[in-house]
Amino acid sequence: MKQLMLGNEAVARGAFEAGVAFASGYPGTPSTEILEYLAQYENVVVQWAPNEKVGLEVAMGASLAGVRALVAMKHVGLNVAAGPFFSASYMGVNGGLVVVSADDPSMHSSQNEQDNRWLAKAAKVIMVEPGDAEEARWMTREAFALSERFDTPVLLRMTTRVCHQTGVVNPEEPLEAPARGYKKDIPKYVLLPGHARLRRPKVEERLAAAAAFGDEDDRWNPVFGGRADLGIVTSGVSFGYVRETMPTASILKLGLTHPLPLERIKRFAAGVKKVVVVEELDPYLEEQVRAAGIDATGHSLRPYSGELNLTLVEETLLGKARDKVTVSLADVDIPPRPPTLCPGCGHRPVFKVLRDMRVHVMGDIGCYTLGALKPLASMESCLCMGGSVGMAEGLARFGGPELQGRVVGVIGDSTFFHSGITGLIDMVVNGSKATLLILDNGTTAMTGAQPHPGSGVNIRGGPSPRLELADVCRGVGVKRVVVVDPYHMDDLEKVFEEELAAPEVSVIIVRAPCVLNERVTFAEPVELDLELCDKCGLCIRVGCMALREKEGYPEVLADLCNGCGVCVQVCREGALKIPEKVGA
Amino acid sequence: MEKDGITNVLLSGVGGQGILTAGRLLALAALRRGLDVKMSEVHGMSQRGGNVDTHVRIGEAVPSPLIPKGGAHFLVSFEKLEALRYLDYLRPDGVAFVNRLEISPLTVALKQPNYVDDIDKILEEKTPDLIWVDGTEMARALGDVRMVNVILLGALATRLSFLEDANWEAAVKERFAKPKIQEAVLAAFRKGPEACLSR
Repeated sequence: MKQLMLGNEAVARGAFEAGVAFASGYPGTPSTEILEYLAQYENVVVQWAPNEKVGLEVAMGASLAGVRALVAMKHVGLNVAAGPFFSASYMGVNGGLVVVSADDPSMHSSQNEQDNRWLAKAAKVIMVEPGDAEEARWMTREAFALSERFDTPVLLRMTTRVCHQTGVVNPEEPLEAPARGYKKDIPKYVLLPGHARLRRPKVEERLAAAAAFGDEDDRWNPVFGGRADLGIVTSGVSFGYVRETMPTASILKLGLTHPLPLERIKRFAAGVKKVVVVEELDPYLEEQVRAAGIDATGHSLRPYSGELNLTLVEETLLGKARDKVTVSLADVDIPPRPPTLCPGCGHRPVFKVLRDMRVHVMGDIGCYTLGALKPLASMESCLCMGGSVGMAEGLARFGGPELQGRVVGVIGDSTFFHSGITGLIDMVVNGSKATLLILDNGTTAMTGAQPHPGSGVNIRGGPSPRLELADVCRGVGVKRVVVVDPYHMDDLEKVFEEELAAPEVSVIIVRAPCVLNERVTFAEPVELDLELCDKCGLCIRVGCMALREKEGYPEVLADLCNGCGVCVQVCREGALKIPEKVGA
Repeated sequence: MEKDGITNVLLSGVGGQGILTAGRLLALAALRRGLDVKMSEVHGMSQRGGNVDTHVRIGEAVPSPLIPKGGAHFLVSFEKLEALRYLDYLRPDGVAFVNRLEISPLTVALKQPNYVDDIDKILEEKTPDLIWVDGTEMARALGDVRMVNVILLGALATRLSFLEDANWEAAVKERFAKPKIQEAVLAAFRKGPEACLSR
């Protein structure tokens, strides 16, 4: 029976149908749900890795053992996994290996907009690109077979609008994928220079064979329509916009986008007067099409950044959009509704204190990156997963006297396990005096509460060994490790000042459970005594959704307030109070 | 069904209001009617109290997932400010269903405007066909404020004549496993028309 599935759910379904035995990855929007859905299939071993690199390495081991394996990550995760990814290309596979990269055009939830199609080309692996949920299912299912046939990892390149698009899927029966067994093969699997040089021509032969396959295959690279005046070359989600804009135009839809089926593209181009390439982000297809001697346009007709939509594709192909926007919003000032820390979140008091101390915070990736936004506005950089640690070390060392003892790195627990540990080792062995704050809420909150090595549970909710952050920090040589509770802000500030003044590296673990994940309620909603309020606005400046302005005064929204008491602590007049519990 | 073959429904509101579930129910009802459907949503950052939009497109064949500005036949907004923010998605002949609820965005300082004055009047002036829905009030009366999403769907359903009662029932039964919840959801859904206020 036809089913409705999220694109990521359809990837999981396709992998299950292909008989996948192992899946790993690290959470990251928009890829996270792939592993969560795969964990619903009992016979698949599914696990979160500390980071993408480790996930891919375990999957390579599984592949060598002869079973089918999948690794899922967001686009920037593939940077972390680039080490094994580029060399796995030379090594090839035994059991089929699919690496999912979920790109994020428009940067809905990402720090950059990199187009990972280049990574397939650079690593010289096969790449497939689904455009909707049903394609996500069947392309994943078939990608394992391509991997085994051409002896290469396959990059399954998704984008936000494919990952988080729900559509109609036709599930098929699972395939039999018998384990192929491990076979020792030192020249293939040990990439010594002498062996790697022998593997190099095989990579080239395999790419030529895969291109020849794509040249002749109608399922992966279908042609639609038949008008001779215009031919459009496209792939992924862009196909839908093109098809809707010009239902009768000639369209070559590429499902295999590395290596490109250039002979097929040449044949297609020869049958039409003019060729336009419609693709999101970089001119990846267009540059190769033009380099092959085909006269094509595309990139110059659309924005260089951001995802496409129907309006943009209509403007590209028709010169103007079909739908007329008739409601003008130019005359109203609509206040933005930015994402914000939850009421009661343990990160809020930390950033309130850091702001008031005027220290320089090198930040990291997670919910707490919102500490950079007003009114907390106390984070001064956010580069990449784990980047806070090394950047704090560098800034502290070269920031001059005025930054002396005023630099802290702020990183979440999951991010620390992902790639903060190595930075901390660098601090220790190179004699840094910077301070690192690890915000420990026991989960990977930003992406929807996935467990990490410090959580003590696995992806299916079962028990797993729990690593204690303080032990890890001491284990890598940090002598000063303090654990604090964020909800007592006076103590927090005292500890921060002490550790910042310390003449060596120190780690402060700020521990409080994620209020959203654990559904934490501290007390009854805070009450405001209007008689005592002097309208100073300090409470508003802790940036809590449960407090808003009403006629110059703060107003507590009882539906949202969970009584954490942070605003109560900043009020100098005692106007905000936590009500006494009655009959508790 | 619309003449050009695709009906576009844009759902908007604030993270946590049950917008994804509403979109999913609508998409399931369309699927069980035998239609094609594509739905698009954004996860991640937007879940932290930010504005949320879900695009649902229904037709015999739906090639792409996003509704263009000026292309929505229906705008279903769970909150007034989020109705205003997405109003330019509505077609000239489009209908807006707006829940009578105001949720202020995060206030960063006193004396800074955090809402739009006279928002009711502005919405009414800018929307030729606007239907106010007392969804939150009705959900409270039913004893579960989370039901606001299905009450709004019930209101929308009065204008989606191509979907039959049986399709909605099938959708609810597919989405919720427990019979008790199915009953409560369907009861709230049927209250939708009653929650619509005349202007």
